[in-house]
Amino acid sequence: MIEKYSLQPSNFDPDTPKDFVLLSIIAQSFFQPFSLEDNLLIILTALTAGSGIGFNRAMLFLKDGMKLKATTWLGPRSADEAEAIWTMLSSPGIGYAEIVAYNRDLVTKMVKDIQPKLKFLVYDLESQSLPLPAMAALNREIILVTEAGSEPEVDPNFINFIQVDSFLCLPLIAQDEILGEIVVDKGITHAPIETKDIELARLCALLAGNYIYTTTLYKKVVEMEKMAALGEMAAFISHQLRNPIVAIGGFTQQILTSPCQPERCRRNLNIIREQVKHLEDIIYKLSHFLKITIRELQPVDVAPILLNLVERPDIKLKAAKKAISLRISENLPLIHCDPVYFEEAVVNLLDNALDVTPEGSKVYVRARPYNDKYVMIIIKDSGPGLDEKSREKLFSPFYSTKENGTGLGLLFVKRIIDSCDGKLEVQSKPGRGTMFKLYFKVRERGQ
Amino acid sequence: MMKKILLIEDDKALSLLYEEELKNEGYSIVVAYDADSALELVKKEQFDLIITDIRMPGKDGIELIANVMGLRKDIPIIINTAYQSYKDDFMTWAADAYIIKSSSLDELKAKIKELIGN
Repeated sequence: MIEKYSLQPSNFDPDTPKDFVLLSIIAQSFFQPFSLEDNLLIILTALTAGSGIGFNRAMLFLKDGMKLKATTWLGPRSADEAEAIWTMLSSPGIGYAEIVAYNRDLVTKMVKDIQPKLKFLVYDLESQSLPLPAMAALNREIILVTEAGSEPEVDPNFINFIQVDSFLCLPLIAQDEILGEIVVDKGITHAPIETKDIELARLCALLAGNYIYTTTLYKKVVEMEKMAALGEMAAFISHQLRNPIVAIGGFTQQILTSPCQPERCRRNLNIIREQVKHLEDIIYKLSHFLKITIRELQPVDVAPILLNLVERPDIKLKAAKKAISLRISENLPLIHCDPVYFEEAVVNLLDNALDVTPEGSKVYVRARPYNDKYVMIIIKDSGPGLDEKSREKLFSPFYSTKENGTGLGLLFVKRIIDSCDGKLEVQSKPGRGTMFKLYFKVRERGQ
Repeated sequence: MMKKILLIEDDKALSLLYEEELKNEGYSIVVAYDADSALELVKKEQFDLIITDIRMPGKDGIELIANVMGLRKDIPIIINTAYQSYKDDFMTWAADAYIIKSSSLDELKAKIKELIGN
């Protein structure tokens, strides 16, 4: 027999021990798609909500550089409120969104009076010795303080702030690294902190420490991935800029070092001018490429855009002695895209197609429904076509088969189509030209 | 006898620059704009040195080097490229030197001299 259970229990039996419910709530919070701060608030709430077993208030310290800083102080204002929160937390079907909203509300209410004062509770972890509560984090020990007022190792500012005589300091440690500390007390019930409370709190602190550790690690990994992508981009850009710069520098050097014949000088200056134009083109396209942001997809009528496009002077000039065959199906549905970017994508492909199509030959543009969900736009040239290797490299940044190509055009097209949730296909064979098929989602009724 | 160099560079302005500068140094230069035509030349002619770019349309410089090695193992090869990041790997591609493209051709000229003399 096989029985299956969810990783995240949603309902608790009323007889379930409260400590089990508490740990379960904390473990479940790690599955929730909330921020580190929100999830830590859930942990603090779980620690402080139950008036029966738990603590009443919790203060969270987080390590920031080499300082241990108080960031949040959370707790109900009365025993009744503590019980009410506990009832909410452990009631069947309670959503984490509600708990998070509740916590945010609570913290906002506290911001005015308490939260600003927290910033004065800062301890330097580089010190050889620290007063309590920071000593617990520094020494990586759980410390229970009773009769705090008569204890010289407790920071008087801290006692003044929390106004209780007994509290428990729980260091948040993972992989031997200090990440923070939670200080809990029973400031409302004034019940003694017992061994079973400490055992439970120890588990919560271990879970919270590991949670902070993995979340921070994940953030670092994401950051590193971004940096790696940036590094790759920087390598591509520097490669692309270097060729024209080397040519400019080299031909300038020729003019300067050897007695320059007027014809040679003029030729070199022409080359330099061309290379500068090429650099400008790269920079323009690059900035344009990086700027693509389609914030909102709109219904786009493809037909008038394509009809206008083939009449554009720059396209007509390029198409001289060649022909553009344009066919658009009647009653073509509207697509989901951005009209300006759609036009730019098609212009890019049309421009490429005209470049490779020999004089006397045609470039074909077709627009027709592909199925109920997609409209297909085809742009086909009569050029030499691409072998397998060139096809593979087609969308690599800065790959170009054109002498003065930037290698960004197709990448730009792909990015636009991706942003419109569309698809792009390329079919090409040497000697048979290249065909680009663009699929755009049909705008459904009511959208 | 004049030393003969095969230069593979798809950028027309740069190949012109290299051709002129290296001719001034007393070398005979043959230019190819892609790997396939370079390979045809290697099959037909004797070269004392090959200078190749890495990134080119069609076959890249790395593939070209592998193909040249299959034809003629003894020709020294210089990779001349705008990519800085591959510099640590060039030995594994059986090239003899890796020069990063620069508007001063001094390093390239010095390396050519070191490998084949004047």
